[in-house]
Amino acid sequence: MKPSIILIALLVVAVALLIACATPTPATVVQTKVVEQTKVVEKVVEATKVVEKVVTATPPPTAAPKTGGVLIAARAADAKGLDPHKQTAFSSFRVLELIYDTLVTLDKDMKVVPHLAESWKWSEDGKTLTMNLRKNVKFHDGTPMTSEDVKFSFERILDEKTGAAARANYTSITKIDTPDPYTVVFTLNAPNGALPAAMTSLNAAILSKKAVTGGQDPAKTTNGTGAFKLASWEPDKILKLEANKEYWMPGLPRLAGIEFRTIPDEASILAGLRAKTIDWALINDPRVGIRAGAGGSTLTVMRAPALAYHVLQLNASRPMFKDLKVRQAIACAIDRQEVLDVASLGEGEVTPPATPPFYRAKLDDLFCYKKDVDKAKKLLADAGNPTVKFKIMAAVDEPPTAVAEAQNIQAQLKKIGIETEIETYELGVYVKKWLDADFDAVVALNGGNPDPDIMFFRYWHSTGNLNKVANYSSPEIDKLLEQGRTTADPAKRKAIYDEIQKKLTEAVPWVWLYVGFEYRVMQPYVKGFVPLANGANTYLRETWLDK
Amino acid sequence: MDMPTRTRRKLPRLLRYTSAVIGLVLVTVYLLVALFATVLAPYSPTEQHAPDRLQEPNAKYLLGTDEFGRDILSRLMHGATNSLRIALLAVTLATLAGTTIGMLSGYAGGVVDNAMMRVMDLFFAFPAILLALSIVAALGPGSNNTILAIAIVYTPIFARVARGPVLATKEMEFVSAARCVGASHARILARHILPNIVAPIIVQISLALSWAMLTEAALSFLGLGTQPPQPSWGSMLSESRKMMEIAPWMAISPGMAIMLGVLGFNLLGDGLRDALDPRLKN
Amino acid sequence: MPTAICNPLFEMQRFIVQRLLALVPTLFGISIVVFLVMRLIPGDTISAMIGTQYQLTEAQAAALRAYFGLDKSLPEQYIIWLTNALQGNLGYSVRSGQPVLGEILKRFPLTLELALGAVVIGLLIGLPIGILSAVKRDSFIDLFGRFFSLIGLALPNFWLGTLIILALSLYFGILPTSGNYVEFTQNPILNLQQIFFPALTLGFAFSASVMRATRSSLLEELFQDYARTARGKGLREQTVITVHCLKNALIPVITLVGVEMGYLLGGAIVVEEVYALPGVGRLLLNGISQRDYAVVQGAVVFIAFNFVLINLLTDLAYAFVNPRIRYE
Repeated sequence: MKPSIILIALLVVAVALLIACATPTPATVVQTKVVEQTKVVEKVVEATKVVEKVVTATPPPTAAPKTGGVLIAARAADAKGLDPHKQTAFSSFRVLELIYDTLVTLDKDMKVVPHLAESWKWSEDGKTLTMNLRKNVKFHDGTPMTSEDVKFSFERILDEKTGAAARANYTSITKIDTPDPYTVVFTLNAPNGALPAAMTSLNAAILSKKAVTGGQDPAKTTNGTGAFKLASWEPDKILKLEANKEYWMPGLPRLAGIEFRTIPDEASILAGLRAKTIDWALINDPRVGIRAGAGGSTLTVMRAPALAYHVLQLNASRPMFKDLKVRQAIACAIDRQEVLDVASLGEGEVTPPATPPFYRAKLDDLFCYKKDVDKAKKLLADAGNPTVKFKIMAAVDEPPTAVAEAQNIQAQLKKIGIETEIETYELGVYVKKWLDADFDAVVALNGGNPDPDIMFFRYWHSTGNLNKVANYSSPEIDKLLEQGRTTADPAKRKAIYDEIQKKLTEAVPWVWLYVGFEYRVMQPYVKGFVPLANGANTYLRETWLDK
Repeated sequence: MDMPTRTRRKLPRLLRYTSAVIGLVLVTVYLLVALFATVLAPYSPTEQHAPDRLQEPNAKYLLGTDEFGRDILSRLMHGATNSLRIALLAVTLATLAGTTIGMLSGYAGGVVDNAMMRVMDLFFAFPAILLALSIVAALGPGSNNTILAIAIVYTPIFARVARGPVLATKEMEFVSAARCVGASHARILARHILPNIVAPIIVQISLALSWAMLTEAALSFLGLGTQPPQPSWGSMLSESRKMMEIAPWMAISPGMAIMLGVLGFNLLGDGLRDALDPRLKN
Repeated sequence: MPTAICNPLFEMQRFIVQRLLALVPTLFGISIVVFLVMRLIPGDTISAMIGTQYQLTEAQAAALRAYFGLDKSLPEQYIIWLTNALQGNLGYSVRSGQPVLGEILKRFPLTLELALGAVVIGLLIGLPIGILSAVKRDSFIDLFGRFFSLIGLALPNFWLGTLIILALSLYFGILPTSGNYVEFTQNPILNLQQIFFPALTLGFAFSASVMRATRSSLLEELFQDYARTARGKGLREQTVITVHCLKNALIPVITLVGVEMGYLLGGAIVVEEVYALPGVGRLLLNGISQRDYAVVQGAVVFIAFNFVLINLLTDLAYAFVNPRIRYE
């Protein structure tokens, strides 16, 4: 080979290396937003002087997936119970979604796709939903799944004696018929386009009629159709899952088992990842997550914007908030990006009321999403310059950033003369006060959903079961919500929900802040995992260990 | 002559006085800072300078800034006020209540002692978390209730510590002698028993002061303790834990402050004890 | 009141029996206090279960309350608990559905080990330094000892624990437990390795208080009349110290050991959190947070039981060390 070609080749390689290794100087503030799933992004955060590599999905595997091996997984919060119909905690969902299946599920773009149901169709009037079930599905105890089990599961949810948490999402179902072992017909009292989306929730898991009516208590024994079986659970320590060898998805799960370890301190989890004693971890606190990819770390860090949103809830029934102008002044005085930067170190995105990407209204169309102190002051003046004083409630560690958000909001509101006091409460006390709407204002993290009807109806419709906590409704919003629920066409729905978001942000019953990132951090040999925006780890079914 | 005097090294009694003086100086500095924090602090402890967040110690902010852009030095100074107030009040309450209970109980002996100690056991055996949580849940968050919670938790400890020496001392001959002579119980307690428990109590107080500051930090895990954004050394330390990799300077300052505070109180306490104990006077 | 001594063995037996009998009203009292306190705190099992993302209908809430036995009156609930408890049934955990007594007993060995480890390490470090400090008073050794004790006092254990973990993982690439704690019976060597650093974290602060108490009380004893007499008789200083003074000087240390054991048996919650150890402390905290009444009730009574036993042992130790203390 001619020497000049070698020289050119070397030059090309050298230039390529130089480009690859060049990093922007820390003095500049460069924020590259993640757009594609497979891009490698470099982010420089000036405040923390950290340069990290963030990958949002594992690069395509270079070898064929291997089966076997036990994944050592860690997270701070342990499951709080085993009954899928009664559990509400995210930590419980993360485990139970691997043990139980639902009729439909969400793919990585948050679309409703078939799962235990192969297909479904709506009747003309939208009041009947017919679902065709998959045929080769077995429960962990070996019994086959049929339409009887589906009927039983939903009836259990609707039975008030069960105390099923999400019952309100399914009350449109008036009758369930099972014409044959693999067909289920749901009859509704009114069209409800959001029902399939609601059925993706773990709270609609399919249980075995035979087992449960035979005396098996789902709170003590798990028996699902999912990819993994519960092998053992020592609460606060280890929860062991083993593969369901007869799982209906071909070739899955690839892992032989998963060991979920409970390590309450996320800094300790990071230490374990670094020490390579942990394969995969879920991190919630941005202050820890931001360090995962730092300084020569070989860990794969997946950062996905959550559907859950941080919000400053105002109690519009309290005297200081009765005047709309006061609430609007508060909205205009708060720079949401600043709250995000201070409390979550910028790890997140400012959000409109609807958090699923498809339904997000444009921020510029919404009321006062850009801080405008002058406008805020003018609104207060128009309201007669009342002295506004109120208490902001926050739970101590749920989310970890709540108290920080409250403090930053407090400082920002001080600039327009609003005095606030922060009160932190233990979680159980906080929950009680929240449910009783016993607060002036609260900094909360509320769950989101790929379907905006499920997100909004319960709070903003006058008949919504959490409306008394939200303390605001209007006939126009009621009408729009009802329309949204019964409309099928996605484009039309989007227009309706855009309108709802406009109205909500103008009425300011709440000040919507931001969605944070959820971090899934893993060793480089953990492949095949894709994080879902709703936090679900269902891709653990497809995960495999490349070692 | 006493053996210990002969084996003393080149650091004579001067050092003993020096260390007590150091203690006095430290405590005075802290008291001054605590009392005059509003005048001495360069910035407001709660004002957030958003563009200056997470700065290392520099000329503008001598101890750096936290994640809100608040000056750590100012927070430290105002924190002194808060922490000392909580620690001093809580420990004073606990000392008074506990020492009285322990002394009377140990001296009385018999059924009274038994009953009192069983009640103290009740408080002792009750996990401190639960006790503190219930006080605050019942009365609401805030530093006054924190003081009450810490005081209640430490009273049994002081009672136990006071009781031990009382049990030993009351058996001694000079006490029986005093009884024979007709001294009243009160007099015996005050003149003979009390001086013997002063030393362990002083040691316990200095322990308790530092514990109180740290307990206040631990309580902030539960939503108790000083409510944000008011600073206290304990809560500053517990907040800094999450930021340890990102901003280590946030942990050093309150940690050093607590250490120097503990040092000061203990040196002073030791000096006082040495001064009060007649047998140590040479 | 000062009394005359009878037969010491008989005294001791009577004492032990008396204290064991006193256990009953104490435990009874504690169980009632815990019961009331947990019901006083706002929020109950149901609201904790539901959280803030859902709302129950009246019928649903009523059904759940009946399921957990919360629909009965308070006295009734307590009597049911008491009757079951006396038969050894402490109820079921809301979280795991498993019996409470089993949950507690599974975690207790760890908590006990941690407590013992902390106390042993504390004594091993604190006693020698305290003795040296007292004997070589005002020398450099004394200064170092006192400085060391002050660091131990001032350093919060959650901080120390975090620092240790950070150092271990960053510089040595190891992590004490990684959430996979093994019991002593399963693998003694590994277990001791895992317990070492958590026990050190807890024991460090304890060693400081041991050091200070030892130094202080030994100094007292060294100047007592009997010590002077012993020296006057010509005994070597070492004998004076070890045989005569130390025994008396250890009384406050015994108190400290008793207090520390009692406290640690209630669960060293923060160290358990930082090192991911499934001990009684976390069980209690999670139980409180989830308003898992049966767990909290059972755990507190269990802790109290152990605590009273520790007190008994402490008082027996007092009497052993100083025979002039009567068994009261």
